[in-house]
Amino acid sequence: MNSSFINMEFLIDTFFVALSGVPIALLVTVVALAIALPIGFFLALTRINEIPILNGFTKVYVSFVRGTPIIIQIFVLYSILPLVLASIFERYNIDFPIYEVNTLWYAFIIFSFNTAAILVEVFRSALKTVNAGQLEAAYSVGLTTAQAYRRIIIPQMLVSAMPNLCTATINLIKATSLGYAISLQEITLKAKVAANVGYNYLEAYIDIFIVYLILCITVEYLFKVFEKRLSRYKAVATA
Amino acid sequence: MLEIQNVHKSFGKNEILKGVDLSVDKGDVVVILGPSGSGKTTLLRCINFLERADQGTATLGDLKVDLHSASKKEVLAVRQRSAFVFQNYNLFNNKTAIENVAEGLIIGRKIPKEEAYKIAREALDKVGLSEKYDSYPSQLSGGQQQRVGIARAVALNPDVILFDEPTSALDPELVGEVLEVMKEIAREGTTMIVVTHEMQFAKDVAKKVIFMDGGNIVEEGTPHEIFVTPKEERTRRFLRRVLPGEYDFEI
Repeated sequence: MNSSFINMEFLIDTFFVALSGVPIALLVTVVALAIALPIGFFLALTRINEIPILNGFTKVYVSFVRGTPIIIQIFVLYSILPLVLASIFERYNIDFPIYEVNTLWYAFIIFSFNTAAILVEVFRSALKTVNAGQLEAAYSVGLTTAQAYRRIIIPQMLVSAMPNLCTATINLIKATSLGYAISLQEITLKAKVAANVGYNYLEAYIDIFIVYLILCITVEYLFKVFEKRLSRYKAVATA
Repeated sequence: MLEIQNVHKSFGKNEILKGVDLSVDKGDVVVILGPSGSGKTTLLRCINFLERADQGTATLGDLKVDLHSASKKEVLAVRQRSAFVFQNYNLFNNKTAIENVAEGLIIGRKIPKEEAYKIAREALDKVGLSEKYDSYPSQLSGGQQQRVGIARAVALNPDVILFDEPTSALDPELVGEVLEVMKEIAREGTTMIVVTHEMQFAKDVAKKVIFMDGGNIVEEGTPHEIFVTPKEERTRRFLRRVLPGEYDFEI
């Protein structure tokens, strides 16, 4: 075994190739979160308040997403969405080149769809940690339900949601690597393509490994800081 | 000033309130006594729409509402004119003492922030918490938390303050400070309805004492009438249980 076991030069070069996929991975993560956060929260409310129909729908949706591998969700949505949209567009005579849409859009939809379901459960458990008395107290001083949620319930709910939100975000970042299956120009795909040329797969995998690690550790750290800020009111020791 | 009529409320098959009437004059302190499960707390919660009554009306000054079918606007109007002090304080955990008091003023009543904080400081001073403006509930003792709860209610300058067993969750040695504050605001002419098990407070402060049992008002009258010359056997039995010795002694 000589030093060519690992091609250091390729390892370093490909590291930067993998790194160039970070913006797309982060973009998909941020957009998916931006879409999934409000939807997940809203659906969690329908579960908590047992809103008829929506509650049942949410249950099925969450079970469906949790009970199937993301890679299959990606394949299914990626195949079905264009077909459905094409038939709708055809029916209403809309001239739209559905098969030329950037895969990025599919990634947004697929990962939002997946993450929203995860967040339903995150928010549902977090909302349950806020005592019902907090809402009653808000009502008693003349706040509306919306005001009570914005000023009292959500800030407290977020504190207990933070650890799970962090996990969900990190899982989402890692899941974007599956985007390579639909040719999303993210970290994994870029490194693998680079490796194809000279069969330097090991180096490419190590690079991918390191890039995700750095990314996830950074995100974890940011969440910790934010969580600390949010839980100021709890952190102080009892006098 | 406050008239409650024919309040009915059931939880499932369990009828908690069986047609309760209650009237309170301005500046009066009305104390509601009764064994647990008699519907005292539920009555209070129905007045403030924390529970929806099955039937009943409330008249608060010139505002008349149906306790079962009041609109959102009417509910808000009633809450704007009343305040509630909870057994478990229910201070907003994510807000400091002064923010707790100011919240309803700024958001609920749309009072400018500066003025709201001035009112909040005065209210906290009144309950003896001048040192604790910026403390979070987690930094306060139970008695201090309940005093913030009372300040939060007083600051709203409501037509009536509803007290739901305000000292029941407190350690015995902290009960005194809360009762003292309640006596103080009663002296200032605040209209209060108080559900409590503190008999001495009822004797000292109440204008009218109401004894509830099984979802009905059994008897009502002055503290003297209820504690010294109760007419109903159920009242006598209850008092004998909660005031052993003392009751016989007072006759």
